[in-house]
Amino acid sequence: MAADPDRTDPPSVVCDDLSKRFAEGTDVLRGVDLTLAAGRTTAFVGPSGCGKSTLLRLIAGLETPSGGRVEIGGAPPSETLKRAGLAMAFQDPSLLPWRTVRGNIELALKLARKPADRTAIDDLIALVGLGGFDEVRPAALSGGMRQRAAIARAMVTRPGLLLLDEPFGAVDELTRRQLAEDLPRLWEARATTTILVTHSVQEAVMLSDRVIVFSSRPARIVGDVAIDLDRPRPASRVSDPDFVALATQVSEALARGMAGPQDRLAAQ
Amino acid sequence: MTGQRRGAGLLGIAAMMVLWEGVGRAFEGAFLIAGPSDILVYLGANLGLMVRALGETLGNAALGFVAGNLAAIALAVLAQLWPPSRSSVSGLALIVFCLPLVATGPILRILYGPGPGPQITLAALAVYYTTLVPLLVGLRAAPASWFDLVRSYGRGPLTELVHVRAWATLPYLFAGLQIAAPAAFLGAMVGEFTGAERGMGVLTIRAIRALDVDATWTIATIAALVSILAYSGLGAIARRVLLEKPAVILSAPVSTGRRRGPWHAAARLALLLGLTIGLWWAALELADLPSFFAKRPDDVWRAFVTAPDASATRATMASALAGTALFVVPGYLAGLALGAALAILFLLVPAAAAVGMPVAVALRSVPIVTTAPLLVLALGRGATGTITLVAVMVFFPTFVACLHGLRQAPGQILDVFDTYAAGRLARLVHVHVPAMLPAFFAAARMAVPASILAVTVVEWLATGRGVGALMALSASLSDYDMLWGAVVVVSGLSILGYAAISAVERRILSVYAAEQLGA
Ligand SMILES: Nc1ncnc2c1ncn2[C@@H]1O[C@H](COP(=O)(O)OP(=O)(O)OP(=O)(O)O)[C@@H](O)[C@H]1O
Ligand SMILES: [Mg+2]
Repeated sequence: MAADPDRTDPPSVVCDDLSKRFAEGTDVLRGVDLTLAAGRTTAFVGPSGCGKSTLLRLIAGLETPSGGRVEIGGAPPSETLKRAGLAMAFQDPSLLPWRTVRGNIELALKLARKPADRTAIDDLIALVGLGGFDEVRPAALSGGMRQRAAIARAMVTRPGLLLLDEPFGAVDELTRRQLAEDLPRLWEARATTTILVTHSVQEAVMLSDRVIVFSSRPARIVGDVAIDLDRPRPASRVSDPDFVALATQVSEALARGMAGPQDRLAAQ
Repeated sequence: MTGQRRGAGLLGIAAMMVLWEGVGRAFEGAFLIAGPSDILVYLGANLGLMVRALGETLGNAALGFVAGNLAAIALAVLAQLWPPSRSSVSGLALIVFCLPLVATGPILRILYGPGPGPQITLAALAVYYTTLVPLLVGLRAAPASWFDLVRSYGRGPLTELVHVRAWATLPYLFAGLQIAAPAAFLGAMVGEFTGAERGMGVLTIRAIRALDVDATWTIATIAALVSILAYSGLGAIARRVLLEKPAVILSAPVSTGRRRGPWHAAARLALLLGLTIGLWWAALELADLPSFFAKRPDDVWRAFVTAPDASATRATMASALAGTALFVVPGYLAGLALGAALAILFLLVPAAAAVGMPVAVALRSVPIVTTAPLLVLALGRGATGTITLVAVMVFFPTFVACLHGLRQAPGQILDVFDTYAAGRLARLVHVHVPAMLPAFFAAARMAVPASILAVTVVEWLATGRGVGALMALSASLSDYDMLWGAVVVVSGLSILGYAAISAVERRILSVYAAEQLGA
């Protein structure tokens, strides 16, 4: 693969005693300490509303912490933002309705001040399975198709840090499996630090090198599971005993972090 | 529109034409009404004259349309990129919107001298506000995540504006432009009333003076047709350009920001007042206009407060205002009530809506004031004509807004009522009317300056009473203190009326439609 002159090495990500409390007084994060190695893929799992999206936004520099700090490659996120060194696929696909699929992907390049690269865009559109839909506007796409377009948009600028907030939420099972095989290959080839929020324990184990499990709000880290399965990981891997063991470990951590009746369930 | 509805609409319009012709013939001599056939005859005989006048007015209206909308866009962008300016921009805009065109016209005439300047300026003044208001809303009408997207590539407000806001605001812009097109024509015509050499406004004045019924009706009909064409033409363009329907925003929503207490409001008001007076002063000083006719704020103060004859001046003004209030208040209230009532009727009787709606939509785009001479001809120079005109002026926007509001009632809530087999009345009271209230109040606010425009135009052109006549008289007697004072007093009252309605609106909406007041 040819060296990309624009491309810097993938950064590490450090959260140091990170807290976030919204103006209305909602305590979302409290003292999160986390170090993510450069070039690896990390999955965040946790109960709905615990603050995963908020943490991702803090890392992206879209939100300011109420305490502690975030460092990307040893510098505050604003430095990475300035270089367009990261990209985020938002929980809501946020495609601009007046642009086609291709237009939305091109916009990312424009915003990152990078030259429009037709073949790279075509490749990505094909990778996320939207071939033939490139001139279609978002309104005419299904929810899952929109999410895939948003993934392609996030990846087109070849960011060193890629943040994906529940990118497969509305994607069907088969396509999801296909993406789970294809995307990690690309992240590895491009040396990307990836953070992925998901509600699926299987997906977390399948895609990542490490799974961080959060408790319900205010989010604390209640589990940190290293996924030392070799790659590539075909879909059939899910039934292997080592995969199942890891998935169980994550599920148990999740149950520990849940407030309320689940607490008692986990304790038994 | 389905074929059937289009058919019903055409039927409605055809019925109206027949009725019009019939009324014209039946009352030949009794009322001063010219039917369609009279108009065609007149038009045949005076085609050249009409075409030249129309060309002149259209040219002025077009220039004013462009200038006013560019100003609106520039102001909206300023308010967006520099948020502290926002409240001053919208406040000043409202003040300028409330200036009585009837008095601004003569003042512009003396400031500009001969030529099309006043017509173009009045056309611009007539349009910028109805474009600015939707733009202020539209520039912010995008989901937060679209802005996050832009920011996540390290880009700032300017990029947001170019790639997100400008596009997201297009439906709002078109909504504004659509209303602005007829308004520009109206502004140009009112400008021509003030002593232009050519144009439809000039012909109007001549026709009224000569009591030429056919000419008056022909001019008003042409003005109406031009407005309908401009309105629907822009609508057609909007449908081609936009992915979605143009937004319907009739007026700035009542402020939804955090309450910051009376001191904050007072400080903002003081700032606005200071800005207004400062700008007024600075503009005249910079243009180096002689204070004989270009009155400064202190001149007006002197004339109305400290001069020896100030109390006489105030008394003259007060009695003129009292005369005007007698017409404008009943007309305003009647227009509001009728607008809301008819909208509800259309909701309850869908067949009436199918026939009546196209007529109403067509007529709504007619700048009612250009038909003022007709109503005066038809109903006489007494109270009836004036009150009717004000009512009609208020009626159409209220009606259309209420209809739109009534249709906003969320389908799911109606389903809930259906499951309880609730009757029409229950649905009306609990669902439709609350859904209509925000639109009703938005229309009621915007109708305050509109009804003052209507009443002053009639008083000026026809009845010779009230503050409109006082303005005309002061202009012709070169009593510039009185003229400028009238501008100050009338716009002040307009703004007070507007603010009073906003206050009532806020109270009522907080009970009936809390979610519409925003977070
Ligand atoms: N801008 C905001 N202002 C106030 N509260 C907020 C804001 N954004 C998020 N919150 C609150 O913070 C909490 C965490 O929200 P967040 O979106 O981070 O959760 P999440 O873990 O991503 O949930 P989900 O899995 O459902 O997406 C929620 O209680 C939410 O109400
Ligand atoms: Mg989330």
